[in-house]
Amino acid sequence: MSKQTIISAKHLKKSFGSKENVQTIYSDLDIDIYKGDFTVIMGSSGAGKSTLMYSLSGMDKPDGGEIDFDGTDITKLNSDKLAVFRRSECGFVFQQIYLIDKMSLMDNVVTAGVLKSKSKEEIRNRAKELFSLVNIPEITWKKTPSQISGGEAQRAGIVRAVINDPNVLFADEPTGALNSANGTAVLNVFTSLHEKGQSIVMVTHDRKSALRGNRILYIKDGKIFGECDLGKYEPDNAERTEKFEKFITEMGW
Amino acid sequence: MNKTSTLVIHNLKKTKGQYISFGLIICLTALIMNIALVLAFQTFHAYDSLFLELDTADINILIPQFQDDDGIMAEIEKIDGVSMVEKHGGVFVAATVREFADSDFDMNTVFYDLDEARTLNRLNVSENPENDENTVYIPMYMKELGGFTEGGSITYSIDGKDAAYKIGGIVSEMQYGNYGTGLIGGYLPAAAYESFAKEHSEHVITEYSLRTARNADLTQIKNDVSEILSDKGITALNINDRAAAKQTRTMVCTLLIIIFLALAAIILAVSIFLSSFRIRSTIEDELAQMGVLKAIGYTGNMIVRSAVWPYTFSGIVATVIGAVLSYAALPGVAKVLAIQSGFTYTPVFDTAALFIVVLVPTFVIFLFAYLSAVKIYKLEPIDAIRGVAGKGGTGQNILLAALSVGIMVLLSFAGTLLYNVSVKPDNFMDTLSEESPSVIFMAQNDKMPELKEVLKDDDRVKLVLEYASVSVSYADGSLTGFVCEDFGKVTNDICYEGRSPEGEDEIAVGNALAKDYPIGSKIELSASGSSEVYVVTGYIQSVNHAGKVCQLTSKGYEKIGEGTGSLNVYLYDKIAGDFIEEYEEEHEDLVISSVNYEKLSENGRTMYAGIVSVVVVVLFVVSILMVLLVLYVIIHSMISRRRQEFGIYKAIGYTSRQLTIMTVTGFIPVVAVSAGVSAVLGLWYLPVINNEIFSQIGAIKNHFEVSIGILLVFAIIFTAVAFVLSVLLAAPIKKITAYSLLKE
Repeated sequence: MSKQTIISAKHLKKSFGSKENVQTIYSDLDIDIYKGDFTVIMGSSGAGKSTLMYSLSGMDKPDGGEIDFDGTDITKLNSDKLAVFRRSECGFVFQQIYLIDKMSLMDNVVTAGVLKSKSKEEIRNRAKELFSLVNIPEITWKKTPSQISGGEAQRAGIVRAVINDPNVLFADEPTGALNSANGTAVLNVFTSLHEKGQSIVMVTHDRKSALRGNRILYIKDGKIFGECDLGKYEPDNAERTEKFEKFITEMGW
Repeated sequence: MNKTSTLVIHNLKKTKGQYISFGLIICLTALIMNIALVLAFQTFHAYDSLFLELDTADINILIPQFQDDDGIMAEIEKIDGVSMVEKHGGVFVAATVREFADSDFDMNTVFYDLDEARTLNRLNVSENPENDENTVYIPMYMKELGGFTEGGSITYSIDGKDAAYKIGGIVSEMQYGNYGTGLIGGYLPAAAYESFAKEHSEHVITEYSLRTARNADLTQIKNDVSEILSDKGITALNINDRAAAKQTRTMVCTLLIIIFLALAAIILAVSIFLSSFRIRSTIEDELAQMGVLKAIGYTGNMIVRSAVWPYTFSGIVATVIGAVLSYAALPGVAKVLAIQSGFTYTPVFDTAALFIVVLVPTFVIFLFAYLSAVKIYKLEPIDAIRGVAGKGGTGQNILLAALSVGIMVLLSFAGTLLYNVSVKPDNFMDTLSEESPSVIFMAQNDKMPELKEVLKDDDRVKLVLEYASVSVSYADGSLTGFVCEDFGKVTNDICYEGRSPEGEDEIAVGNALAKDYPIGSKIELSASGSSEVYVVTGYIQSVNHAGKVCQLTSKGYEKIGEGTGSLNVYLYDKIAGDFIEEYEEEHEDLVISSVNYEKLSENGRTMYAGIVSVVVVVLFVVSILMVLLVLYVIIHSMISRRRQEFGIYKAIGYTSRQLTIMTVTGFIPVVAVSAGVSAVLGLWYLPVINNEIFSQIGAIKNHFEVSIGILLVFAIIFTAVAFVLSVLLAAPIKKITAYSLLKE
């Protein structure tokens, strides 16, 4: 069965800096993201992984090219339309988490939820389900980000990201600021969501995190340099891990 | 709004302390603004209502009864614009009221028959069935300022004879009623009036009271009346009109409204700076969070609304509360104003004032908050999250500089007012009044030279000057004339343009005549049946006579009138009471009567000092509150932003005290420099402000002394207070620990 493309980007261009000091991130990049996939984008520091992810999600505008996101060319949307587009199509998980200070975890989630649903009751009920899914106990829902651990905060960040049932969940180094135990807990949530059919695009340079994906893309020299299909995540599948290691070694990791 | 409400409520909760402090400032703005507006909307309206209720005449003309004839009435009735004329009898005397606020009070007084039937100039009288021949009813102004009460007694000194009366009641009238109108009423029951008129038959007058058409030209009608009288060789004792009376009686109210509105505008300006600072500060502090909000689907408009609404909402709530609270203060303010206006009213809830008080500040707050937040629109979520969005300054130093300048303007104005009322009261009185001697002696004209010589030989006397206030007529009515032997010797030079008269054919006219009589033009004056033409040499100010005054030399006045028989005596020391007593005993043959002007001036100062002290206290309280609230917002914001930095400093060994001093000294120099510069600039802007404010009530030449010393003292006090408050407000720095930062 062929995969359904949810994002298709063609001839993407992006560069930073002034005229005298232009740094081209990518100049003619094509990429497809498939529905239901857990796509991991890897690459060395400065390769443009996050830049690409943010372009695909409508957070950042590429300098050129087209991005067809489930039938919509998002490069043609203005910033307000992009915001409306993101609220229904995308969820975001950031390395620095970025929950709103002094707002409880529940309110952080509701703040995102009200953008799509008018009923706060519905949002709260859905949030409760998701908090349970990511193992955040009820006693913690009313706490503010500064009162909980980084792992709990990031899992709450995931709940906020998926409260509106996005088509694609984007994650930028979601375990980058967490210790090993908290990182694993967060990755388990991603795996769990993927198993339930959630499309995920994750940028990471962490092998352990990357192994959670079923499709690995390696970006180098402004292009998708290589791609590896790892198949479904299985924690103790040595063959799968070996395939991944071989791939990234070939990519020059 | 529903989608934004969560963010709005969160913002309100998150920094509620700052919204409360912001709300307090706005509340204060609204309170002061509402007082000013209610006074503006209701005082003049109340004045007009009472004016109409009492069917007060638009113009009143007083002429000696012996000059009256039956034809005058018919001729006045024919004047275009006159709709009704009514004649009243009266007795016009130069009276001195004894024990008026513990002094003698000189005022031309017209005594009327209280029981005379009248359609115009009706009187609102408190009933007293026990009238007798010694009962008098006094106008409200005398009760309020003079300290007289119903049932008490009052003594009038007329033609050198004292007569005591029982005060039967208080009269509300809108014809006279104030020192500033130059005339005041006295009201006697029929029997008492009859014997009074008999006793002072030479002073009996006829009053023609005119009601005019709604849009009639009062000046033209007065001209026409003057012409009729002039043709008959009649000199009007007084012509007053509703506009001049209203201006004089509402003078302090107008002054208060101007000061309060200016004050509210300054506070509002600082509040706007404050809200702009907070919003810019919030954008800087929460850049990443705003980026995340945009990432998860909030539009720029929604985030801007979430930043602007809390200020707008606080503005609405605070202005409503401020406006409502002002009604607790308004009766007190109205009572203070009654002392000067001579009529009372109770301020009531004013929808229009509330509408303006809520709408104007709220709109201004919304507008400036929106302009401060507008950069959120341009904020790209990815740049915000990465922290590469442009970081501009929060305008903290601009806010502090603006606050310092604003507060210094208030303090300088209040301090200068206080200094010129309390320390140098002559400056204040000279601005609002005319010549202020220690004593005025009245003498027979032929005894004047002798009395003058005696006084000149007295080593307690600094100066003796022939000076008098007289009544003269000109084409448009009557003028109060200041007659002096040598205006070069007067102590209060009220000439604000040109010069005072020197020759016998010269005259300086009041500001009310300045438009019609340019310097160099001629004006014809008449008194006692004689007329003379004088050349205008300059303009003089007069608050108390609504600018309808003139200066004539003694020789100039003698062309149309007899000698004034009045000497101004200026003493080295404040011994007027004893001095008068001594002269009345030892020179009984020379002195007819005397006025303790020193005491009178003191009473005037007391009256104005009362009003001024209210204004000054309000200004000081407002200043301190503003400093406190603005510093609270700035320091709170600063501590919250530099929390991590302070934790690091503590980790490497800095104490809380060192960090507090370091923080405070980081911005106090801005306050100090701004205050210092503002103090020095005060030498320029304070005279401008004082002139602008006081010229509204006719005091064109401002005698206020602006002392750089006082201004610098205020600048130092202000800086010191700001420093102390800052140290106190920076106390939360103590709670920051290096360990807590690690935990965060």
